[in-house]
Amino acid sequence: MFDVIRLVWFDLKNELKPPVWVGLQWFTSIVQLLIYAALIKQMMNANVISQPYNYQQFYAVGFLIIMTFDIGSHAGRQFVEAAHEGRLPYLLSLPISRSKLFLSIALRGGFELALMLTVPFTITLLLIGNLTAVSIGAAIATLFCLGFGVAGLMLGLSFIAFKSSDMYSAIVTGLSAIIVRFSTIMYPLAFLTQTSPSYASAATLNPLAYGADLVRLLLGFNPNSLLNPAVAVTVLTSVAVGTLGLSAFLLQRLVEGVKSA
Amino acid sequence: MYAVETQNLMKKYGKTYALKGLDFTVDPEEIMVLLGPNGSGKTTLLMTLATVLKPTSGTATVMGLDVVKYPTKVRQILGISFQDARGFWRHKPAEILRFHAAMCGVKKSERKAIIEQVLKELELWDARNKLFMHLSGGQAKRLEVAKILVQKPKFAIFDEPSSQVDLRGKRTIWEKILELRERGATLLVATNEVREAEYLADRVTILDQGKSIICDTVQNLKDKIAGGDIVELELEPDENNVEIEQELAKIPGTAKLTPMDGNKYKAYVSIAEAWVPKMTSLCYERKIRVSSVRVTEPSLDDVFLSFTGKKLETNENV
Repeated sequence: MFDVIRLVWFDLKNELKPPVWVGLQWFTSIVQLLIYAALIKQMMNANVISQPYNYQQFYAVGFLIIMTFDIGSHAGRQFVEAAHEGRLPYLLSLPISRSKLFLSIALRGGFELALMLTVPFTITLLLIGNLTAVSIGAAIATLFCLGFGVAGLMLGLSFIAFKSSDMYSAIVTGLSAIIVRFSTIMYPLAFLTQTSPSYASAATLNPLAYGADLVRLLLGFNPNSLLNPAVAVTVLTSVAVGTLGLSAFLLQRLVEGVKSA
Repeated sequence: MYAVETQNLMKKYGKTYALKGLDFTVDPEEIMVLLGPNGSGKTTLLMTLATVLKPTSGTATVMGLDVVKYPTKVRQILGISFQDARGFWRHKPAEILRFHAAMCGVKKSERKAIIEQVLKELELWDARNKLFMHLSGGQAKRLEVAKILVQKPKFAIFDEPSSQVDLRGKRTIWEKILELRERGATLLVATNEVREAEYLADRVTILDQGKSIICDTVQNLKDKIAGGDIVELELEPDENNVEIEQELAKIPGTAKLTPMDGNKYKAYVSIAEAWVPKMTSLCYERKIRVSSVRVTEPSLDDVFLSFTGKKLETNENV
């Protein structure tokens, strides 16, 4: 296990040295949640939906989900970069098992997620207030589950990058745009149902929408305006297990059979 | 038991075969040099033995361990210096070596001293705290080799270990590779540099289009070229020289005898060491004085040309 931790730390420590990137992410989060979200809250026409929302709180959770998605995607992209920059053959030649290597990649993504979300998650908790340790813990677990699912999806797609990195970038960017927008991350389901039923239907097929609404439920939002939590738990667990399992299978077969670029 | 053995090893990328049923062995504690042009399958073979690539079919064992069945155990006894030293752009040479040593099980108490020694030997000490992305091509390549020198594996693989390195650096790397063998390691070195192969090899395997063409010691390979050695000789002027020319052409091992200007001859022979004494005996018997003898051996490039019909060294890789 020391090998896995050493590998994770060796890869991750450069993100922190100097910690400009992390600092910028945190600064962006503060600005997004405390300034933009507060402004949008005032702009919202609460009469469109039956139950008025504190949109700043709603937006804050949505922002956490977008960050989780971005960081999960980043983990997948890093793997592709490792292959293209020649780092992957070196990692594959190290005297550790493939399962430990894949575990280190997943853990690295997990640590990065935890690091990046610390500030926005704390702000979100402060904005919402009045929460229990259990609900906070469950929300964190949901975010990690979602992050692993997204990372698994991106890792699973990385086989495209072995053929063409441009095609991979185009597909991932397009997919990200669709997945993030056709969801309830930024818009309450009740609002979507009233204003655009077809958009609402698309959102109910989106794992990110389930992730966002499950986190909201755990953080005390009104369950009547959210997607079904039992379905959300099933969807998120299935996506995380399915995509990670599939990506591990694909990578085992692909990585050792494809020349490094 | 062989240190490395492959049987009918195949590796296919799409419709292209990189290895076409390769049978290949390396003895313990020897330096086997893989000689072949780009695209001959050298790197694919090394990557397969290092368990970075899986073979399409056939078997490969390292120290008796099957690379497909026991990949982690194989990785625990080998170290590989890659052809392209790339990857950790934002890390420094010293920390890359510390990480590598730790991952490969070098004792913590020994790491610092070994890393310092290797960095100094490979003239990387002054660059130890530079970012990898700021190293020159030669420095990055030396760092790649340094990983193996720090690790000291039982089986070491070097893929073009001195490419991009200056002449002095090449000599240092070759000396360190020979030292590894002296310490009991088995080494597999892939190269397309003739001088590197001649300096390092206990045996040479010539690869071409994914197949082993021939494997032997450098000297035996040279001797296997019919007429590969060239003996230039000059005889004292004598009226019997016409007859001696015919007799010289009949000495066993003579592929061709060409008269040059005056009393000079150029003989293309298989093994010069065997041919020259016979030639001098013949001249002594015929009372003809030999003024000068000059022997030129074929290079490994000539060997490669002889067995594959292609030149190994091009202007690019000389």
